[in-house]
Amino acid sequence: MAAAVFLRSSRAFMLGPRAMTRTFIKPRHTLGHPALLTTTIHTSPQHDQQIQTSGFLASSHWNAERVLATGLLLAFPTAFITQCPALDYVLAAGVTLHGHWGLQQIVTDYVHGDMIPKVAHASLYGLSIAAFAGLCYFNYNDVGIVKGILELWKL
Amino acid sequence: MTRILTRRPFDPDKKGTKPKMVTYEVDLNKCGPMVLDALIKIKNEDDPTLTFRRSCREGICGSCAMNIAGVNTLACICKIDARVNKTTKIYPLPHMYIIKDLVPDMSNFYAQYKEIEPYLKKKETVNYGDKQYFQSVEDRAKLDGLYECILCACCTTSCPSYWWNGDKYLGPAVLMQAYRWMIDSRDDFQVERMAKLQDPFSIYRCHTIMNCTKTCPKSLNPGRAIAEVKKLMAAFKGKAKAASL
Repeated sequence: MAAAVFLRSSRAFMLGPRAMTRTFIKPRHTLGHPALLTTTIHTSPQHDQQIQTSGFLASSHWNAERVLATGLLLAFPTAFITQCPALDYVLAAGVTLHGHWGLQQIVTDYVHGDMIPKVAHASLYGLSIAAFAGLCYFNYNDVGIVKGILELWKL
Repeated sequence: MTRILTRRPFDPDKKGTKPKMVTYEVDLNKCGPMVLDALIKIKNEDDPTLTFRRSCREGICGSCAMNIAGVNTLACICKIDARVNKTTKIYPLPHMYIIKDLVPDMSNFYAQYKEIEPYLKKKETVNYGDKQYFQSVEDRAKLDGLYECILCACCTTSCPSYWWNGDKYLGPAVLMQAYRWMIDSRDDFQVERMAKLQDPFSIYRCHTIMNCTKTCPKSLNPGRAIAEVKKLMAAFKGKAKAASL
């Protein structure tokens, strides 16, 4: 009887998720060094939630990044050839958003913790808004981005 | 004579010991050609406490993955540097928790592999043993270059994104297997598999650095597989609608 119970429980142990996701033989030293081994298993954040199929998905964001990057490749030559003031505003918005998304990736990659990422993301928004406002101000009150770059080139 | 320098991170049986590097001298005339041969020789003759994983000694089990001379590879299929005045530095797989010497803790890696459900899933009720699921030659060919992965974790642990976000980013090895099951013509859960990756971390921490492809000891291309998943997921909304999720 006892042997049967032992067999059943040991099999459950061998096949259970615990054994599959942890090192098989737990060394003695882990008792004294809790930080040396991964004591908890991290997995991707979404998996317990309902499947999300609408709204601004991570894949939509990826698509938007590609569209914007390719769009800028077209927008720059067009703006320089036509020198249309409206395109200066398109460039201002496009460049700012492109830079914002790029920096956002960097913040997500490298800024860890509970509080600091929120601060970093908030200040990034501030920075991007300021950049966009600055470029618009330059477009409105001065020669505009395209002519500005051309004049820099003349120097 | 050549020198093999390996890291002995700490003595897990004694508290508070510091990692250190130890140099062993190996006579190449009395040793097999591969780094694993040298490690086994050192363990047999010099230091029986030197600890590493090994099993098949022919590059098919993935146990002996380690960082040799700055490159993640399998010790059993990596030739010893024949220049006798050079020292070969051996470290465990980078940025992993170390159990002892060259043995990393693979728990997180295996848990992530489990997350992607690496097995065939059908929507119909399956009576096991009733019938086989056939595949056309073309559909089968799509899995070439993907199914050969031995999960040695060389690619995953060479990825800077995995170093910084290994808790939430799945890493190249696991993502390549996710792709392998997504494009299997017999599998019915492609959209659900994609839906599981719909967050900023699971796949989108990949920035196409391509360390994975460069280091793969089996010459596979995880970087391409991840790019293919991203391309599949670019059409996610349409697919989700078609599958009425």
